[in-house]
Amino acid sequence: MTFRVRPLCVVALLFAAACDETPPTATFPESIDAQLRRSIGPWGVVPIAPMPQQNPALVALGRALMFDKILSGNRDISCATCHEPALHATDGLSLAIGTGGTGTGASRTLGAGRSFVPRNAPTLLNSGLGLQYMFWDGRLSRFGPPVPDLNVPLDQSDVLAAQAMLPVLNRREMRGEVGDKDVFGNPNELAQISDSQPAQIWQAVMQRLVAIPEYVSLFQAAYPGVPAEVLSFNQAAKAIAAFQMAELTKTDSPFDRYLQHDDAALSIEEKRGGILFFTTARCASCHTGPFLGGQSFSNSGVPQLGPGVGQAAPLDLGRGALPNNEFYKFAFRVPPLRNVELTAPYFHDGTLPTLESVVAHYNDVPTSLQAFDPATLPAAVQGSYHGDQATIDAVLGTLDFQLRTPLHLTETERRELVAFLKSLTDPAARDLSALVPATVPSGLPVP
Amino acid sequence: MAPSGLRAVRLIASLLCFVSPAAAQLIPIKTLPIAQGDQFQIFPSNNLGLGGVSIALPDSLGDPFVNPATTARLRASRFYSSPTVYNLSGNAGGGRSLPVAMLARRADWFGGLALVVQQVDPSRTPRQGNVVFATPNVALPPPPGGVLPSQDLRAHGNQYAFGMIGRSWPTSKLSIGVSALWTGLHALDGVDLLYSGSQSVVQTGHAIDVRIGALKEWEGDRGARSLEAIVVHNRFAATHNVVYVDQFWDPGLQQFIAQQRTDRNYDHTNTWGAQLEYQIPLPTLGWRIGWVLTANRATHPKLPNYVLSNVAVIPWDPGRSYAYQVGVGVSKVLGPATFGAEAMYEPIQSYTWADAVQPTATLGGDTIAVGGKTIENRFRFSNGVVRIGVGRDIHLEGSPNTLALQLGLMVRSINYRLQQTDNVEVAQRALRTSWNEWTPTWGITVRFPDLELRYRGRVTEGDGRPGTQFAVGVRDMALASGTILAAPSGPLSLVNVNTWTHQISLSLPLH
Repeated sequence: MTFRVRPLCVVALLFAAACDETPPTATFPESIDAQLRRSIGPWGVVPIAPMPQQNPALVALGRALMFDKILSGNRDISCATCHEPALHATDGLSLAIGTGGTGTGASRTLGAGRSFVPRNAPTLLNSGLGLQYMFWDGRLSRFGPPVPDLNVPLDQSDVLAAQAMLPVLNRREMRGEVGDKDVFGNPNELAQISDSQPAQIWQAVMQRLVAIPEYVSLFQAAYPGVPAEVLSFNQAAKAIAAFQMAELTKTDSPFDRYLQHDDAALSIEEKRGGILFFTTARCASCHTGPFLGGQSFSNSGVPQLGPGVGQAAPLDLGRGALPNNEFYKFAFRVPPLRNVELTAPYFHDGTLPTLESVVAHYNDVPTSLQAFDPATLPAAVQGSYHGDQATIDAVLGTLDFQLRTPLHLTETERRELVAFLKSLTDPAARDLSALVPATVPSGLPVP
Repeated sequence: MAPSGLRAVRLIASLLCFVSPAAAQLIPIKTLPIAQGDQFQIFPSNNLGLGGVSIALPDSLGDPFVNPATTARLRASRFYSSPTVYNLSGNAGGGRSLPVAMLARRADWFGGLALVVQQVDPSRTPRQGNVVFATPNVALPPPPGGVLPSQDLRAHGNQYAFGMIGRSWPTSKLSIGVSALWTGLHALDGVDLLYSGSQSVVQTGHAIDVRIGALKEWEGDRGARSLEAIVVHNRFAATHNVVYVDQFWDPGLQQFIAQQRTDRNYDHTNTWGAQLEYQIPLPTLGWRIGWVLTANRATHPKLPNYVLSNVAVIPWDPGRSYAYQVGVGVSKVLGPATFGAEAMYEPIQSYTWADAVQPTATLGGDTIAVGGKTIENRFRFSNGVVRIGVGRDIHLEGSPNTLALQLGLMVRSINYRLQQTDNVEVAQRALRTSWNEWTPTWGITVRFPDLELRYRGRVTEGDGRPGTQFAVGVRDMALASGTILAAPSGPLSLVNVNTWTHQISLSLPLH
């Protein structure tokens, strides 16, 4: 061939070579949404599907029982007293106040000779989602061997209903002490029964209920074909659980919408807080899974407050007080976080009043515990704070290893974290007053 | 190659949506080195084996489908067919087309018809060795009464219909033609890979390409000078119904379940283009030189929200692009030998943005009103294309038949700078990236007295397809999963693939 091809080829190749690939650069950071979605990814945080519709008759019965003080020995406290709709299914108190108390919500006061319930009343919001553990120490669980002294005659998988059976057994919460008289001055027959006879206590509660025609009607609607004489408190507990699932499931938060691919659901500040939550601030190492918690136990270095539990009183060892759980000394259930903004005060003994104080605590747990100021507590519980060095050392001795080093979050970052936590609020959970019935079948006052 | 700034992937739509085999008039805009197959190589081309040179070397087979006025050069009516097969290495996809075409002329009038049926295989994650690294489906049950879709592994078909008519005025050596190409689309190659984690992508759409072409020739001592002009309007509209399987917690069953979610994405682009091409013979015998000037203005009323790793889902993505192409080419046809070479420069500017669908608070404390721009992307491309090809006819001794061989090479260099303004985060980001696509070509022709049988082939390397980072050959480490279903064993990445195309074309005169 006579063509002068070679020079042209060389030019072409030079042209191509001159345009060779640029070395990798890192000049184009991920978008904030890409960062957040990537940081969420490993933690199993997924949206919650809608709660299946519950049997309306069961829900109606559950609502009546939830707000009726007839379940308590002294007829002076209902489930809703400590799980008050106006306070987002909790009571706003650091430590709950059981039977004998007066007033509602944060203004509730102890009755004469009574003592505080040792722990904070957790919110019932989203308690029907399928949580693995109930109570702060998780003594009621969907998994593992049952705790020996909890003889709940229910399927272990139905922990929500099982949980509803236990407060009526607890003297400090609902049953009352031997010799108590109810609000009408009549002897408290529930309090007379031995603590070792839970079945008799439940049967006695049922006798109260079936003596009221309206309850008989409600039970017959909820359990058609079941004669009144064979009804048990199991059925009552299942109805309370159905009410909780139907009316207290609130999972349409901005964060939930974000999980369902709505990038606009969160503000920039909330997104930044979310990235911190799932990365630097290490929150997601415990607050993980679909509920953002509820699946594990942690000693978060919380100040010890209250009358204490069991043999360790006046301290509260939490899950560590359960048989064969010494490893979990001072560890408590990691709470699920949806609607956390609405359920102050925080931790198992309600020692921290705001989300800001919680985030500040986690920023440097050892320092926070050492420097805890009991003056920040409500006056009624200040005296039960256990701030001696031995207690602090004991708590720090089993502190969750991830909390032993400070996070060094800046003020801005702490604010962003709080903003993210507030994005977990379902707007429908802000006002639950419509759940409160005007009256209950017993005719006792509501709440 | 630089980690891809993956909002940039939006503009890959501009490449996909130029549904036309006449690429010369529609300048491709490509922001990621994603291999897209050779879906639109559907019409016959003589110069395909010569690297695709076209500026100074007429393509006797392909030109009528590009500029209808050049059908005037046809001496007699002919029937064409050019079955074309392409596939991507690593079993990553492929497709096949069967066009039949007829070009005819009668006196001063000429015209043509073509029909094409095409089948495009589903895009797959490339194989590396004998192992497929694909994101597994979540093995979760559906909700009660629900059904989960299985992955769509079927091939889907497209249809093309082409018509053209024109007239020439021999005395003035002027020809004018108009053509229209309608495409019914159900499968654009590679689109399903741009929705990471999807189960299936149901594509429906159409494209219309209407063009008016003119050809003016002037006879001279050393041969004819020619001027070609084309005005083209291309409208592309597609809908992608993307089916995902999302993981949920079912409070009724108290376990994880999988639920189907269908996202609908629209991909619309309208393009106006114009091209001038001028060829003159050079003083040296057989040599010609040509120049080409092309301008495109594309509006993107809607670009899809691809879910490709780092790309966030931003609803609505309008934009506009201006693309230009200047090129020069030389050719020499002397006796049995053919040579062609050309170089083109393509400056392109593209501007896309995302609209706020609701009042959006910015980090600076302002609020972007509905319809305001939340993110603005400004691309500046500086692309180059070089093509070179040689061919030789070989007369077979003792036979009236002729054998012709072709070899060629095309290199496309893509360089761009992206300046992104995030009006929500009040931040600016910049990215510079570039890569080259190399396309060796080859061809062999057997000319019988009454028909021509051609084989053309090419392979394009330098692109990849989304896979999972594994080993050597992985190009791009920046593609992390953007969905809440995390990739199982590492970030998604582009795996090198080659696109092989084989075309057999048959041309025979209609007596």
